[in-house]
Amino acid sequence: MKKIISKTFKRFKSAVSNTALIFQRELLILVSDLGVTILLLIVPVVYPFLYSLIYYPEVVRDLPVAVVDLSRTADSRAFIRKLNATPDLDIRYECISMEEAAGKFRKRENRGIILIPETYSSDLALGRQAVVSLYADMEFFLYYKAMVMGAGLVSLEEGNDIQVKRLLNAGLSERQAEVFSNPFVISGNAIANPAGGFASYGIPAALMLIIQQTLVLAIGIMAGTARERHKLGTLIPCDLRRMGTFRMVLGKSAAYFLIYALMCFYMLGAIPAWFGYPDQAGFSQLIALMVPYLLSAIFFGLSLSVFFKNRETPMLLYLFLSFPLLFLSGIIWPLSNMSPVWQVVRSIFPSSHAMLGYIKMNSLGAGISETGHEIAMLWILTAFYFVTACLVYKTQITKVKKLVLNAGHQDNSLVTAL
Amino acid sequence: MNTYIKALIGVTGREINRMTSRPLYFLSVVILPLLSLLFFVSLMKEGVPVKLPVAVVDYDHTALSAKFRRTIDATPGSSVVMTPATEHEALSELRKGNIYGYVVLPHNLQADIMNGTQPVVRFYYQNGLLIAGGLIQNDLTITLHTLSAGVNKQKREAMGQNEVSVYAEIQPVKPDAHLLFNPETNYPVYVTSIMLPIMLQVFILMITVYSIGIEIKERTSREWLRKAGKSVFVALTGKLLPYTVIFVILSLFSNFLLFKALMVPVNTGVVYLVLLSLLYVLAYQAIAVFFVGLLPMMRHSLNLAAFYGILALTLCGFSFPIEHMPEVFRLWAEAFPVRHYMHIFQSQILAGFNFVYAAPSYLKFMLFLLLPFVIIFRLKSALIYQNFIEQIKITDAAEAAVSEKSLIQ
Repeated sequence: MKKIISKTFKRFKSAVSNTALIFQRELLILVSDLGVTILLLIVPVVYPFLYSLIYYPEVVRDLPVAVVDLSRTADSRAFIRKLNATPDLDIRYECISMEEAAGKFRKRENRGIILIPETYSSDLALGRQAVVSLYADMEFFLYYKAMVMGAGLVSLEEGNDIQVKRLLNAGLSERQAEVFSNPFVISGNAIANPAGGFASYGIPAALMLIIQQTLVLAIGIMAGTARERHKLGTLIPCDLRRMGTFRMVLGKSAAYFLIYALMCFYMLGAIPAWFGYPDQAGFSQLIALMVPYLLSAIFFGLSLSVFFKNRETPMLLYLFLSFPLLFLSGIIWPLSNMSPVWQVVRSIFPSSHAMLGYIKMNSLGAGISETGHEIAMLWILTAFYFVTACLVYKTQITKVKKLVLNAGHQDNSLVTAL
Repeated sequence: MNTYIKALIGVTGREINRMTSRPLYFLSVVILPLLSLLFFVSLMKEGVPVKLPVAVVDYDHTALSAKFRRTIDATPGSSVVMTPATEHEALSELRKGNIYGYVVLPHNLQADIMNGTQPVVRFYYQNGLLIAGGLIQNDLTITLHTLSAGVNKQKREAMGQNEVSVYAEIQPVKPDAHLLFNPETNYPVYVTSIMLPIMLQVFILMITVYSIGIEIKERTSREWLRKAGKSVFVALTGKLLPYTVIFVILSLFSNFLLFKALMVPVNTGVVYLVLLSLLYVLAYQAIAVFFVGLLPMMRHSLNLAAFYGILALTLCGFSFPIEHMPEVFRLWAEAFPVRHYMHIFQSQILAGFNFVYAAPSYLKFMLFLLLPFVIIFRLKSALIYQNFIEQIKITDAAEAAVSEKSLIQ
């Protein structure tokens, strides 16, 4: 009995010390490899910073537009003044004809055209509906939005003013006219990101994606390099003393987890604080989301490393996924309008759940229970990819053992260690 | 001249041999680019997202509030999927991601409207997601204004006004939005038209850097140069030619998808489409050659190409307009061919403007083609002297070597 206990204890002890050794070795290789160090330490530091600077203005203001005023009356001039007063638009040109305005548009001097018809004033006078045409540029979505929202709201306001004026003329009191034209007051409120800033919307999601992408690429590059460095071209060294599937997977994972746990303080703590991005998520909420995210991303990377035969392969075969993953996350394209096939594809990537979960917690102030679905999915993926990672390493270990034995190295000191 | 052509054919043949020797090439030149093109086309095929889920919190429970709910549900943009009892519940559902917005119909809505006390109808939209938030905001604003106009209209009709003048009275100025020169296309189509070339440039950059870098890494560069008659021009042209052909075909295929599957109008001849695709592929190949020449050690040039390729999405101005970026980035954006591609595509192909307006962008494309000449001699010397090779140490054989040595002794 005593013997069994001491034997188990000994095995446990060696397992722990071996895991620690693998962990230590992985960290050492990581730090000594310039390419991987750049990927793990520099990219997550530089990208958020760069993006924040690029998107610094956040919103589109004063879109240069041309007005073609065919009416040329006091009414139309009043309308133009109101258009110019909105922060969205800047009436840069007043053109005589549509041709002139379109010519300027071709040269990209203006990014939209507003056409006030000849009949504008007479329509209003005769009680007909006056139609103002907005021609928007689709080159940039935000331009389109600024144009349609800006000019649309001015038209509504102007219409309202005209209506109230007419009702006043018809003999109603000011209050009556107001109630008549607006039976109820409409109040729209944004939950999260009230200014509609582009950086506040895009960068938190990008941060999450960068974590997974740099992790998988770094793990893949390490795996490819390991194959190049190992005598038999295998994922693991043919040093049979430190073998053991769990030791291998856990030791390596611990190294990446340590680095990324530290990076998270910078990416999720410092960056939002410096640039004023939403930071509603509390520490415990972030832990609840990030622990399964990091684990699932690491195991995902370790599982994928079976495909990376060379150091360069991850860049060729995996990097491109960053763009589709961005669109699959549900941040850009609403999930409710994604086909079931893409929903399934989406759910196998840890980043999809983490990006949406982070936006919910950070921008909308969702709690752990409201992010329950995402956190649960991340734990399921953690378990799934842990198993696949173990299978990958298990088969590699068996392969190495077989290769070493078959290669006739029986006299070798490596095998005596078995 | 003849010898050059012979050498060129020899190098191209050698490259095709190499391409078929590893599945890696087939994957990253054909399969993965095709899958990414199809992914974006299939994702965006549906057009503008419709029937986004929203909730209505009805505190009023009258015929009028029921009519409001039905009207919101009937709009193309949103669909009422739940009617939570309280606002608190609705907010929680929004946080869970089940709805993108909700409308609160207050107590006594009907009564207050009838006796003219102007109740407040609030609506909330999730603005953490740009497209869904924007669509819901737009849709609910329009719907509620329509409802307001409806009430207004009822009152007026009760006063005996006829229908035509009612519309003129309740909405005297009507904005009528068009897309300039492209009335029938929608936003997702535009996204696709930019995402397809962005996907292609990643693959072009990566595979070009790889196909040259691997020669240096595996020390086959001298043999490659010898095959090319010691001309680095012939060597590069012959090597990159098969990729140029494949990627131009892929680019034309992506245009075909846009025009046939997504029904994007095309206002230019096929000649321009081929020219644009060819220039696009060549420009990115030139940039990749420049990267390898700059950093002949492949691990570094691949990193550089990856950094550059990923930034294209941001700096082509598709997400955020270039004109509104800080000055530095405006200049930097000029260094991305996809930016010029986007301009030509929108000005010449979609809008059908004259060639003159796109000419500056064509000229900039030409400038990219000059890039390889800047580093051509550095690249040639790297190919000849192979002085940029990383040392691959066999790390797990050290002990074996020691034991073998001791055996020999």
